[in-house]
Amino acid sequence: MLHSVRMLLVALLLAAPGAAYGAKDLVVGVPATLTGLDPADLNDNLSQSAARLMFEGLYNLDEHMKLQPQLAESYEATEDAKEFTFHLRKGITFHDGTPFNAQAVKFSFDRAGNPDNHLKRQSLYVMIDHTDVVDDYTVRMVLKYPFGAFVNDVAHPGALIMSPKSIQEYGKEVTRHPSGTGPYTFVSWSADTLKMKKNEHYWKQGQPKIDTITYRTVPENGARIAMLQAGEAQFIYPVPPELIASLQNSPTVTVFNEPSILGRYVYLNNMRKPFNDPRVRLALNYAIDKQAFIKVVFNGHADPIDSPAPQLLPFYEKQGFYAYDPAKAKALLAEAGYPNGFESTLTGGADTLVQRGMQFIQQQLAAVGIKINVEPLEAGVLTAKMFNVKGPEDATIVMLYGGWSSSTGDADWGLRPILYTKSFPPVLSNLAWYSNPVTDAAIEAGLATVDLTKRAAAYAKVQEQAWKDAPWIFLSVDHSLAAYSKKLHGAFMRPDQQFYLRTDASLD
Amino acid sequence: MIDYLIRRLVGTIPVLLAVSLFVFLFVHLLPGDPARLVAGPDATPQDIAAVRADMGLDRPLVVQYLRYLGQTVQFQLGRSIKTHQTVAELIGERFMPTLLLTVFAMVWSVIGGVAVGVLSGVKRGRWQDQLAMVLAISGISFPGFWLGLLLIDLFSVRLGWLPTGGYESWQSFVLPAFTLGTGVAAVMARFTRSAFVEITAEDYVRTARAKGVPERLVVWKHTLRNALIPVITLTGLQFGFLLGGAIVVETVFAWPGLGRLLVDSVSYRDYPVIQAEILLFSFEFVLINLIVDLLYAVVNPEIRLR
Repeated sequence: MLHSVRMLLVALLLAAPGAAYGAKDLVVGVPATLTGLDPADLNDNLSQSAARLMFEGLYNLDEHMKLQPQLAESYEATEDAKEFTFHLRKGITFHDGTPFNAQAVKFSFDRAGNPDNHLKRQSLYVMIDHTDVVDDYTVRMVLKYPFGAFVNDVAHPGALIMSPKSIQEYGKEVTRHPSGTGPYTFVSWSADTLKMKKNEHYWKQGQPKIDTITYRTVPENGARIAMLQAGEAQFIYPVPPELIASLQNSPTVTVFNEPSILGRYVYLNNMRKPFNDPRVRLALNYAIDKQAFIKVVFNGHADPIDSPAPQLLPFYEKQGFYAYDPAKAKALLAEAGYPNGFESTLTGGADTLVQRGMQFIQQQLAAVGIKINVEPLEAGVLTAKMFNVKGPEDATIVMLYGGWSSSTGDADWGLRPILYTKSFPPVLSNLAWYSNPVTDAAIEAGLATVDLTKRAAAYAKVQEQAWKDAPWIFLSVDHSLAAYSKKLHGAFMRPDQQFYLRTDASLD
Repeated sequence: MIDYLIRRLVGTIPVLLAVSLFVFLFVHLLPGDPARLVAGPDATPQDIAAVRADMGLDRPLVVQYLRYLGQTVQFQLGRSIKTHQTVAELIGERFMPTLLLTVFAMVWSVIGGVAVGVLSGVKRGRWQDQLAMVLAISGISFPGFWLGLLLIDLFSVRLGWLPTGGYESWQSFVLPAFTLGTGVAAVMARFTRSAFVEITAEDYVRTARAKGVPERLVVWKHTLRNALIPVITLTGLQFGFLLGGAIVVETVFAWPGLGRLLVDSVSYRDYPVIQAEILLFSFEFVLINLIVDLLYAVVNPEIRLR
């Protein structure tokens, strides 16, 4: 024991800081620890963003969440959205030297979609009936039912292509031995540090331009900023809204402050009194000053939401704005039979921004006679309360401070999980227990085709109906807040709030 | 001596058994479903049931406990629910950073704290004493969180002398060890001073002085030796606490230690990791207590171990 302590001390003393002279080393300061590196088994933004540096998908969402071909060159779909054929790029190898081809794609998809493997992203593959290898560089997925958003699923981090050899070799442990085709290869991962280095055989000529990437977990906001200021990191996220101002005038640092696709809502239990009355739900929407909400909670770094879908979600259609009007709110409440308001409980998470948001809503609603008890809960307890239900009758939450961001970047996953009748908890996250046959039909129509005009019409209908029904209090759209060194080019927070590094990113 | 050691070590078994049962029950009675947390927000009920079965959480609690106990006895601590790493590996990875940080913090704070305490005791009522006690009170009251950030701002951002955090080179130990030790040093100083003052009033010290024993000998041999007994007790306790991981300091300095691992594990309901960590902490305490008892005998040979 003592010996090993001594050895470690010696090693620490000898470890020279910094790497080879002139090397382009990028350090990214992140708020939490990774959960793994098996793309099919991840459900957190942070680990997914790391996986994206080492793996690639058939398609990819770029920094603006636009679909781009990646390992595939193109695809064709049948009009009924039930068959998708992908033509693959040739001459690509995985980091372990094995070739990338249609067999590898089939292996990756079959593994991730097999329920016996208990992988967390299995839900992305449920619509696939089977995958066919047409030839070495053509692969076809045949679906059980129409799924118009399928290519977005293929572009999801859960569908990144893994080397079949690595899976055969490591089984579940592949999460610590990632092997993909991406621009960076895995070096090591322990406790707080993930290290990757340049893939010398990357298929894009002359890329990547950065030699090594290190993810370092720095849980404290202030410490993360200090890391950037001291030059120990070149990109950090998130930056809390109240600290943005402190970085804005820095000569060496650029602030990243762009709208995301995370919509903030208060889910109202549409099956419970008093929220089963649409007039009450409308009243609540009129009772909140959204501009003030954004100023108080996010120091102004957010946008008001003017549709059930955030502005950057595909097929977004502007609906309008429930302008702050407490008199109207009071009138609507009186009309619904609550001239003196009522009492209710607003449940939500326990972190600072959420609590600040809930307190703001409490104050605003008090002004129209509604007494709100704020109930902040620890994440595990909150999840249990949200999902340990069999149906609407045992829901214990009446008002939930929450939000939603589409992880596939498509309108389907942006709206269906929170507005569809079949998405009631525990299945998905329709936490308002909202159910309208018109909305349901439109959601189904949006998935039944790959025709973009038809899909657009369907999602326009979903948004129009849900806006009218107002199952939630519509609040705001978060901004992604991050900061990076002026020496770094090509790094972003994508609108889904995932760290995104272009393959041609560089460091001066 | 050997007899005593064996008896003490055997005596820890029932303690650890009780701790294991208590921790197991406590962890499993926490509200929140690990299977739900593992499966993720868009999992279907079938997914969650599969994860639950995979984790063995669908069996009766008694069966789960006995299975856990059986495996623990064979040092099979299972795998982390969050990262699939073996718990032994995970804790191993975090143990060294915590141990080294604790040792560095304790070394400077015990030496510094005792020195200041003795100085205060000797110069009781004079300006040195007052200054030392003002420092000690500040050290106790200054939140580690704030002190850490101030030090980072000064030494890393403004002066660029030391890294902001992380467990990389010897430089990265300086700020966290200083921050972590500040509170301990302050308590040590106050404690040493009062023990010193108390012993100074004892009859045998007065007798020694009356006999004309030189003042230096009175201070070092008669007073300090005896004053050290409570100081050793306190050192042991503090050491044990710090070995449990210093959550605040680890968070501020991005230190990959056991404290943050525990917090992460609790919020993820990572049962195997929580259980193993608490068991480890209990064992550490038992061990440190034993070492403290042995040290008493070294400092004061009149104390016999039986």
